[in-house]
Amino acid sequence: MLKTRKARAWAIQIGFLAIVAFLLISSTLVARDTLHAQGMNSGFGFLDRSTGWDVGFSLIEFSPFDTYGKVIVVGLLNTIFLGIIGIVLANVVGLTIAVFRTSENGALNAIGTLYIEIFRNVPIILQAFFWYAILTHLPRPKDAYNLGEVAFVSARGVYLPGLNVTGSSALIFFIALVLGIFFYIWFTSARRFRSLTPSAKKNGKLTIVGLVLVIAVAALVMGRIPETNLFSIPTLKGLNIREGIRIPPEMSALAVSMAVYGGAYLAEIIRAGFLSVGKGQAEAAEALGLSPWYVFTRVRLPLAFRAILPTLTNQYVWLFKATTLGIAIGFTDFFSVISVSINQSGQTLELIAILMVGFLVMNNTISFVLNRVNKAIKLKGTQLRT
Amino acid sequence: MSEVAIQIRGMNKFYGTFHALKEINLTVQKGDRIVICGPSGSGKSTMIRCVNRLEEHQAGVIEVLGTELNDEVGNIDVIRRDVGMVFQHFNLFPHLTVLDNCTLSPMLSRKVSQAEAEKTAMMYLERVKIPEQAEKFPGELSGGQQQRVAIARALCMKPEILLFDEPTSALDPEMISEVLEVMVELAQDGMTMLCVTHEMGFARQVADRVIFMDKGEIVEEGPPEDFFNSPKEERTRTFLQQILSH
Repeated sequence: MLKTRKARAWAIQIGFLAIVAFLLISSTLVARDTLHAQGMNSGFGFLDRSTGWDVGFSLIEFSPFDTYGKVIVVGLLNTIFLGIIGIVLANVVGLTIAVFRTSENGALNAIGTLYIEIFRNVPIILQAFFWYAILTHLPRPKDAYNLGEVAFVSARGVYLPGLNVTGSSALIFFIALVLGIFFYIWFTSARRFRSLTPSAKKNGKLTIVGLVLVIAVAALVMGRIPETNLFSIPTLKGLNIREGIRIPPEMSALAVSMAVYGGAYLAEIIRAGFLSVGKGQAEAAEALGLSPWYVFTRVRLPLAFRAILPTLTNQYVWLFKATTLGIAIGFTDFFSVISVSINQSGQTLELIAILMVGFLVMNNTISFVLNRVNKAIKLKGTQLRT
Repeated sequence: MSEVAIQIRGMNKFYGTFHALKEINLTVQKGDRIVICGPSGSGKSTMIRCVNRLEEHQAGVIEVLGTELNDEVGNIDVIRRDVGMVFQHFNLFPHLTVLDNCTLSPMLSRKVSQAEAEKTAMMYLERVKIPEQAEKFPGELSGGQQQRVAIARALCMKPEILLFDEPTSALDPEMISEVLEVMVELAQDGMTMLCVTHEMGFARQVADRVIFMDKGEIVEEGPPEDFFNSPKEERTRTFLQQILSH
């Protein structure tokens, strides 16, 4: 009966599914019985209960009267916020160090090598503690470093000028901005729009820019906090700094660790990309009279980027997970919010499930988008000579 | 037509201790078509790569279109814009379409508008007989087509001089003729050309002068008739026997 390959393949798959189904069902039953025996309620009803505790840093308005559901959203937003900042900074660091490492200048080369050998080889959690210790030992607010009366750096955080609008409207503003930039790049570079007439292209661009502006301005106007100035400039009043946006040291420490540690890894990946670009392409660009800057930005960088994008995706997903170090130094990221919620509500299984699904969704989004980009920009044709 | 395009006097090049080019002297007038041949490792490619400073020479003087090639960055840029180069392996930019390959440098280093650059590009793509491939990517073309794009790309900079570094060596035999045809047409239009090639038919047909190099030296130099029919040097004779006998 199992003599054909096809029959065997089916049998193996059915057997595998049966085992998975058995494990799922039996563990659910066991969990239910155990929870019942201990008198605990399972289910997601607790998400509507108010927490009774506050969070250290939130992008949207939050008070102890708000629900568990909302505190999880706060944690998610903080993680996304930190993830984006950390990954962007890590790229800047990585690219710079990669350029140093591939340069023919001995001094730059040595700096690059030294950087990588130091920061790649110290665990990121130690670096997070290290930067946190430094940032919390900066001067107190009344002696804060004053950057031109508009920004302050102190042990209590970095104070930046901002707008007097609600957190949610600022969030909508930034989402509109990010999506706008994304669609603009897509519209100007995707192959499917290449054949549009110049006037259609111009109209398309204007539509995108206009739409983003309308949404962004509308978000700011609607979220305006009444009876305040539009601009919120941090100022020193007594012993503390008032107004402005406070970036807490926990957040800065994590962003710096991600940039420094992640940057060291990214630098080596980007360097590999540069080395993979054929010498011929760079020579051809030079022979055409392109300046070193254009040879770099128009030929070497785009080709290197294509070579390393799958590896970069991997690294971004990895770096994004490093945001969970928030729990080590007290930043209210997704993980630490879930962890506190578990302690306070006892809904361990549900919260762990939310945590895992949350990270799966976020990281799959990153890899889905970057895989699509990879597919769109990969070198076409089979006659490549590089 | 007796303006000097390239003047090389007493040029020497070393790779470490290896003496790659020895006392090279060469004068190329505008409109000259020069074919350089010689066994591999004789320094032919290195010599023409010195003309646009892809290689640096250690001694002697190279003047291109009246500008001396030295460490001055400005000079190198000026010369590279006026000296086009076609490579053995084409070296097209694989991430850009054929059209974008052709318009990249005119737009960035000559500051030509996009519309004008594309017009020029299409004109030269027509000249190398592949305008219909403009929107394709280099990897989607055959070797011969890629090399013709490379020639069009070089022409889009409106160069005074074109350098060819073994342009047909990496091609399948049936594609060599389509590239040579384009090169012959360029020669007939009066382009100043320096070609490193083993295509002796091409040399006979279009060259004003053939230069034979061996071991980093120019061994013999002369019009094609003399060069092929009555070579003066023993080394030239041996070389010609080897490449013409098969």
